[in-house]
Amino acid sequence: MKKTDVVIIGAGPAGLSAAIECKKHDVDVIVVDEFPKPGGRMLGQLHQEPNGEWWNGIKETDILMEKAEELNTTIECGIAVHHIETLPDGGYTVHTNKERFAAENVLIATGAAEVAAPIPGWTLPGVMSIGAAQVMTNVHRVKAGEKGIVVGVNVLSAAIARELQLAGIDLHSMALPAKNAVSEEQAHPQKVMDGLVRIAHLAPSKFIQFGSKFAKNSFVRNIATKFFPKGGVKMWGMPIHVRKAVTKINGTEKVESVTMVDVTTDGEIVPNTEQHIDVDFVCIAGGLYPLAELAAAVGLPFQYSEELGGHVPLHNEAMETNVAGIYVAGNITGIESAKVARAQGKAAGLSIVKNTTEQNVTAALQDALHEVRETRQAASIQFHPRIEEGRSAINTSFQNKATN
Amino acid sequence: MTSKRIDNHPVLGKLSDKEKITFQFDGKTYEGYENDTIASALLANGIRTLRKHENTGNPRGIYCNIGHCFECRVTVDHQSNIRACLTPIQENMIVESGQVQPHPLHPDNDTEAIRTYEDFEQWEEE
Amino acid sequence: MEDFVVCRCEEVSLKELEETAEKYDCSARELKLRTRAGMGFCGGRTCRPAVDKVLTDITGEEPTDAVPLKVAPPVRPISLSGLGGESSDK
Repeated sequence: MKKTDVVIIGAGPAGLSAAIECKKHDVDVIVVDEFPKPGGRMLGQLHQEPNGEWWNGIKETDILMEKAEELNTTIECGIAVHHIETLPDGGYTVHTNKERFAAENVLIATGAAEVAAPIPGWTLPGVMSIGAAQVMTNVHRVKAGEKGIVVGVNVLSAAIARELQLAGIDLHSMALPAKNAVSEEQAHPQKVMDGLVRIAHLAPSKFIQFGSKFAKNSFVRNIATKFFPKGGVKMWGMPIHVRKAVTKINGTEKVESVTMVDVTTDGEIVPNTEQHIDVDFVCIAGGLYPLAELAAAVGLPFQYSEELGGHVPLHNEAMETNVAGIYVAGNITGIESAKVARAQGKAAGLSIVKNTTEQNVTAALQDALHEVRETRQAASIQFHPRIEEGRSAINTSFQNKATN
Repeated sequence: MTSKRIDNHPVLGKLSDKEKITFQFDGKTYEGYENDTIASALLANGIRTLRKHENTGNPRGIYCNIGHCFECRVTVDHQSNIRACLTPIQENMIVESGQVQPHPLHPDNDTEAIRTYEDFEQWEEE
Repeated sequence: MEDFVVCRCEEVSLKELEETAEKYDCSARELKLRTRAGMGFCGGRTCRPAVDKVLTDITGEEPTDAVPLKVAPPVRPISLSGLGGESSDK
């Protein structure tokens, strides 16, 4: 059994930056990840910032990996953690599909999973999550298909649709999933518009940018939803529909087409508006939620937070949890960007150094916390408008639990 | 057939030359590149169906592509339930797709089987 | 609206969830146990948010702070030999 100071579960931006901080301060780590390459979901990211610069996940991962390698950091990919066992005399045994690891501290940086937006036919080969398409395109450089459609219009799916286009993949359009017992949020044009407005400032179209300033007012948004053009609003030449929904994915052995209908401002199907669209792949996009199963397995208390995307393990700004020796960082703490995850990882690493060694890293930790806050403020894309409230509420609950 | 690979990308650049790897899927031989996962190599070869649902036989392929959903599970060199989306291909790897499993309580299988409480009561009486 | 699968692993459809709830008038947890929704190979990772949403609608039980459907290790499918040995073997 391999022994170390900290086992870091997840080699994404949070896990890697935490590893770097630890190693810089002579705290030994082993980073494990079930994906065959390090970089987590940041590896597949590729988008343009408002200033025109490209955020290239492969490059950003290389930067972190170079620092990690300089410090002789052990990173083992292809390892799936299935349990974190709490030892009676302190410390933890991390159980994986390959071997066990022993450490006094564990950082759980397992990121997020996708929320499904099921519609009839969604289990057919050719239907995949929007994240799957991102990985296939940017990481594996394989086309998801000849012609596709994105079902679910939100910040993440719009960004990835752009990535697919960039890679030369033919996308028919983006549209909502039909309203059903699961898809309420994603199927409601008004709610979707609210979400779109938050990324409209990134649109290359000046008209949309201009409109987004006014669309902050909900009255204006209501009008916009009502008069949303039938042909969709074209972002980068591809229609984004807020008044059309996909009701069914058709095919026997695999995806052959989808059925699309017009919908009212409330997402109700308008009769006799069915159209069939031939596609060979469909991307489903329902949003992200923190993947906290290992945090639950090790007994961390949770809180449901809409702003953060789901059930989140209680933690403070310094990434400490209510269980000694267990830390969290990245999307498991709430859905934000890779930049925030990276900054959180740094904070988590410094927290571990502060708590486990005699080194004085108080100032460095304060700087790291400041960096997290600044990164959050500067974000050009915000996954949820009330993220600060969400963060604050979790912190309060953590403090309450800690003092009781 | 047009290439299923993104050889040239305006930002990510050109795909570098990679070693070709030969592997088998359900008895047929395919070619992929070094660092392809089983899932990406098969998709590059136009194959989407990776298994049949154990009960219903419905065809399934990748869904999440990052190891969460297990839809892509295949048997690799006789080890079952390996995620195709996480496993890099290797030379001469033998990959097999999962098929429908016999169901002990399926009506077609054992007509004598006790399936419900009524069956049990009847059997007890006999 | 046409029926659709909610839990992919166990192929539990919305109709099955609704009918089972009506037949047994049960809690969200019991509904999961009866239909196996969320209890398949992926450990509920894919369908948990969807199943929880459907169950809130059907049973009226509001989501709590505790992670629904108690998460118990192993959180990845593991073979018996994988559990017993120090290294994986066939």
